Amino acid sequence: MNKTTIGGNKRKALNILAMAGLIVVFMAYMFPFLMVVINSLKQKRDIIKSPFSWLFTIKGLSFDNFVKAFVQMDFLNGFKNSLIVTASATILVTFLAAMLAYYIVRRNNVISRIAFALMVASMIIPFQAIMIPLVSIYGSGLGILNHRITLIFMHTGFSMAMSVFMFHGFIKGNIPMALEEAAYIDGATHTQTFFQVVFPLLKPIISTLVILNALAFWNDYLLPSLVLTDKELLTLPLSTYSFYGTYSADYGTIMAGLLLCVIPILALYIVLQKQIINGVVTGAVK
Amino acid sequence: MKSKSNGKDFCIFALPGLFCFAAVVIIPFLYGIYLTMTDWNGVSDVKNFVGLKNFAAVFQDAAFWSSLLLTFKYVIAVVILVNVIAFLLAYLLTRGFKGQSFFRAGFFTPNLIGGIVLGYIWQFVFSRVFVNIGEATGWSLFEASWLSDPTKAFAALVMVTVWQLSGYMILIYVAGFMGMSEDVLEAASIDGASGWIKMKNIILPLMMSSITICLFLTLSRAFMVYDVNLSLTAGAPYGTTEMAAMHVYEKAFTSRQYGVGQAEAIILFLIVACISGVQVYLTKKREVEA
Amino acid sequence: MMKRNPVKRAAAAGLAAVMAAGLLTGCRFGFASDPDDPNEVKETEPIDTSADTFVYDESLAGTSITLLNSKAEIQTALQEMGAIFEEKSGVHVEVMPVTDGDSPYTKVVSLYNSGNAPTMAILDTTDVIALAEEKALDLTEESWTAETEEYLTYIDGKVYSFPLCIEGRGIIYNKAVLEETLGREFDPESITTLSEFKALLEELRNKGMEKPVSLAKEDWSLGAHHLQYIYETYDGTSAGAVEVIEQLKAGELDLTSYDRMSQFLDAFDVLAEYNVAKADPLGADYDEMAIDLVDGKTAFWFNGNWAWPNLEEAGADTDDEYGFLPYFMNDDPNDFVNRQIQGSPSKQIMVDGQMATEKQQAAAKEFLNWIVYSEIGQQMLVKTCALVPPFANNPYEPADPLSRAIYERVQTGDAFNASAIVPNDHWSILGAAMQKYLAGRSDRAELVSSIQAYWNEQN
Repeated sequence: MNKTTIGGNKRKALNILAMAGLIVVFMAYMFPFLMVVINSLKQKRDIIKSPFSWLFTIKGLSFDNFVKAFVQMDFLNGFKNSLIVTASATILVTFLAAMLAYYIVRRNNVISRIAFALMVASMIIPFQAIMIPLVSIYGSGLGILNHRITLIFMHTGFSMAMSVFMFHGFIKGNIPMALEEAAYIDGATHTQTFFQVVFPLLKPIISTLVILNALAFWNDYLLPSLVLTDKELLTLPLSTYSFYGTYSADYGTIMAGLLLCVIPILALYIVLQKQIINGVVTGAVK
Repeated sequence: MKSKSNGKDFCIFALPGLFCFAAVVIIPFLYGIYLTMTDWNGVSDVKNFVGLKNFAAVFQDAAFWSSLLLTFKYVIAVVILVNVIAFLLAYLLTRGFKGQSFFRAGFFTPNLIGGIVLGYIWQFVFSRVFVNIGEATGWSLFEASWLSDPTKAFAALVMVTVWQLSGYMILIYVAGFMGMSEDVLEAASIDGASGWIKMKNIILPLMMSSITICLFLTLSRAFMVYDVNLSLTAGAPYGTTEMAAMHVYEKAFTSRQYGVGQAEAIILFLIVACISGVQVYLTKKREVEA
Repeated sequence: MMKRNPVKRAAAAGLAAVMAAGLLTGCRFGFASDPDDPNEVKETEPIDTSADTFVYDESLAGTSITLLNSKAEIQTALQEMGAIFEEKSGVHVEVMPVTDGDSPYTKVVSLYNSGNAPTMAILDTTDVIALAEEKALDLTEESWTAETEEYLTYIDGKVYSFPLCIEGRGIIYNKAVLEETLGREFDPESITTLSEFKALLEELRNKGMEKPVSLAKEDWSLGAHHLQYIYETYDGTSAGAVEVIEQLKAGELDLTSYDRMSQFLDAFDVLAEYNVAKADPLGADYDEMAIDLVDGKTAFWFNGNWAWPNLEEAGADTDDEYGFLPYFMNDDPNDFVNRQIQGSPSKQIMVDGQMATEKQQAAAKEFLNWIVYSEIGQQMLVKTCALVPPFANNPYEPADPLSRAIYERVQTGDAFNASAIVPNDHWSILGAAMQKYLAGRSDRAELVSSIQAYWNEQN
């Protein structure tokens, strides 16, 4: 009996099976997104009566929804606002969280432990529980609502806990002390060591966090709706409001608007994914 | 980091992040706790201190406790399914086959659709596609809309959550697998470790920090479920799928008992804090340091 | 570079679509445009701005006020109205929307907390009552109150809100479909009792329309629009509705022996029996109902005049004959419930009396007066917003058949104005109880006892 061949065949069969399974599951995951794409090209009546028909709809395909969404959303202005808020908050939280997590991992003192415990606990605070206190404090208390900076600051604060939590796990598991000790021996300060040695090693987790945070900021509706009221400052999700009615919504336009909002984030994801891989390929870890 | 110049390091590394966090999360939260001890209705100028009266009211709100029980069932189902599925998919997607980045992007798409659109699409799936399939095949499972039956509507909620959350967790598990050295796996293979042994003795321990994070995230997100609950079922049919977070919101704003709603939110927070505290403690113990 | 692409692509797609649309319309080869084309762009009625005798207070020019709008379907119309008002008066009106996911009340609460309270807010009557005494400006002395006396809401003898429109609800019928199926003329006046209505439904069934009724499963429809008939039909007045609710709260009224309770359920049972989604009533889809009614799959839809945009979108035309039948509750042809349909002011504008400056308050009052007294405001309320005006001096008539039906009934006295002011969670909690009943998972006794239990808890 030739053990290797059998094992090889078996493995091959298993691989094909896994691949087939993967494709089926993949289809299930993609399905709703596909529905958005298809229905964004249809008229409301067709969406309701035949949401799953592919190309042969009653009135045919049209880009009307996209035009309507583009105009009604004041897309360019919303895009600009979303971009400023998302980019600033993402950069800010990435740096601040990485530094804080690094401090917590390497300085295992009382403050670190309390801060970390608080952060972990805070991740399970329901947003509804702080929504009203938040606007009271920043609105009638400090009177600084309705500024982009306030929104950026709040996004940063709200995403701090999870970002620190993930950096913490990664630093602890993947960044060996030996590298830093070598840097200290070379006479580097803490700040230099962090930015020159540690930070580059965090690439995979940074890429992951950037995409998760950017997505959350980009798509967030509730917090911006509390902070921003000035029309000029509205972010993209806020500007789709006119598509929703009290009793019924303009689905075609909603889906077209959604796609317009989502494309930039999808692009970012595709770009960053390469980064995640590169971070590992360079073999920096271990 | 060496232990000299403690204060300076704290100011540079920890303070900015902690400040943002405290100003936005902790202070409003403490203020929120104070509000639970008043009779404030959310909008009035008058706030009278009433002590723990609102907490007493929580214990009389039977609907809150039944929504909590439902939430527990939901959390158990979601946490198990999400993590098993995401872990396995992430494992498959880091084996280095062609097109895996395409697949990864695909699995992430559920996260791109949020809010009402997500609920709307799934409503179609459950009340139309499945019903159409049922008509065509005669399967009684799909005869009527899932959303009009309490048990099936619950199953629908679990399915949609798993669908959405697992895409997110795949990303974290993928990062974990990428951080794991191929050498370890190869060495294990050379030693003749078979699939299951390899998984149990080598992969799982090395993946423990990702598992801690994912378990924690799924646990807390499942407990706090609101968006999907609202957009897919909104508690329907007849209030049988109303989860804790949605009940809290309804209590505070629809029933206008702001103090009671806020108190329920705090109690929900305490319960979830205890459960996830235990979880983090248990899984952290198994983590391997680099 | 990745980030610029989507914009460019969208712009290109937009341009292409515009061009394609232009080509298509240019290539109709002389065919008359299809009147039933559901995708046809509807044209808004032009507003005549030539006559304007309204006296504007010039000292208010330059003031900026906000209007929180909780009636999403008139968002664009309100923006247009604000723009024209600004052109004429110099007062800037910023229309802020309440969006999906927020309730108007939550939005107002968060705005008051953020120190950003809207100068005016369009709210439901219950919300006005909750906020009035502490936040709202007293409008009792405004002259427009004389034009709309029966539609004012009094809170401790004072008026704190401006009735924006009259909304009515009942059983919407599609006359053309009815006549086609029945094979004879249909006179809505000929149906005066529940039995006659049931006989009509049975006749439709025998003539091939198996299930002629669309019945929404949404909790706001079941909990507010259906169930509230038990309070509103007490004697058909708002005072009567208040009285019956007070009795319920005090535990003085036993619903099991209250006539209107059982009559309401009799009526509801008839609708449920002929429900097009009877096999799975909680699987019904709201948007599909409009299409079904227009296409003639059904002949009736229980809803209000706010449903017109949905019908229009589904292909209905303002010349088509749609109208309302009353919510028949018994077999007494002389009972008002079998003759009149309910029509009352639902949305109210409240003016902030707490945070707004005096100038803003004056500007808000001017805006309200402008809606009531200026030629332009009167036209825009009826034509641009497509609302039924609650003001006796407004000479304009709504254009769509549903609003027209309500308008005519209000004019001829064939409508009863009873607003039941119920707690804010009434629709959601009792809507769930109604869903359970509709799905056949509970019986009358259980439904009635849950309603009774709800009221017992309100003390």
